[in-house]
Amino acid sequence: MSSGPEFDLSHLQAMVLFALVVSIAFGFLSRRGAYKRARYILWSFFLFVMIGIGIGWLMYPFSR
Amino acid sequence: MTTPSISPRPTTPSAPSGSHPANAKPEILALSVAVAGWLLPGLGHALLKMWGRAAACFFTVATLVIVGAGMRGNVFPRSGEDAFAKLGYIADMGAGTFYYLARSLERDGPDVSHANGDYGTRLLATAGVLNLLAALHAYEAMRGRKA
Repeated sequence: MSSGPEFDLSHLQAMVLFALVVSIAFGFLSRRGAYKRARYILWSFFLFVMIGIGIGWLMYPFSR
Repeated sequence: MTTPSISPRPTTPSAPSGSHPANAKPEILALSVAVAGWLLPGLGHALLKMWGRAAACFFTVATLVIVGAGMRGNVFPRSGEDAFAKLGYIADMGAGTFYYLARSLERDGPDVSHANGDYGTRLLATAGVLNLLAALHAYEAMRGRKA
């Protein structure tokens, strides 16, 4: 019996996937029209990733 | 000298708008749409003919469930030992029938001894919470509060 698909993602890849998928959902649910949705999705994705990387750098001094 | 009397209350009593029988049917319809959206991600919006939102909800929740299960994230069972497991179960069940899809995809069970499994657990919880948000949005749209 074969098992389901397997994924081996790094922390950054998982974060980018999370940011992309959640941004798409938020964009479709909160905005109407293709242009407004695309703008919202891009901005939300950018903020998710940048804030994630920023928090990562803030935690860097305490990582060891 | 006579002054006109001002009555603070209306002369005819009126029932609260929510209890009117005419409002009961749309409320039941809105709840049905929300439950449909919870059971199958995107179905609530599809019933309202919001095709773009329906597709977005379906594919985003499906992606998170498939990748989360593929990373061997923890799909919390009903019998959680502590508060975190119970909360995790509630979040996972937010994905509706996709909760069982995640369980069926994870034939080898979860593996949270590695970071990969931990990330998968978060993705599965996100799928559930996102679907609950979408179901709530469909409910509000059916009631005419959002579009």
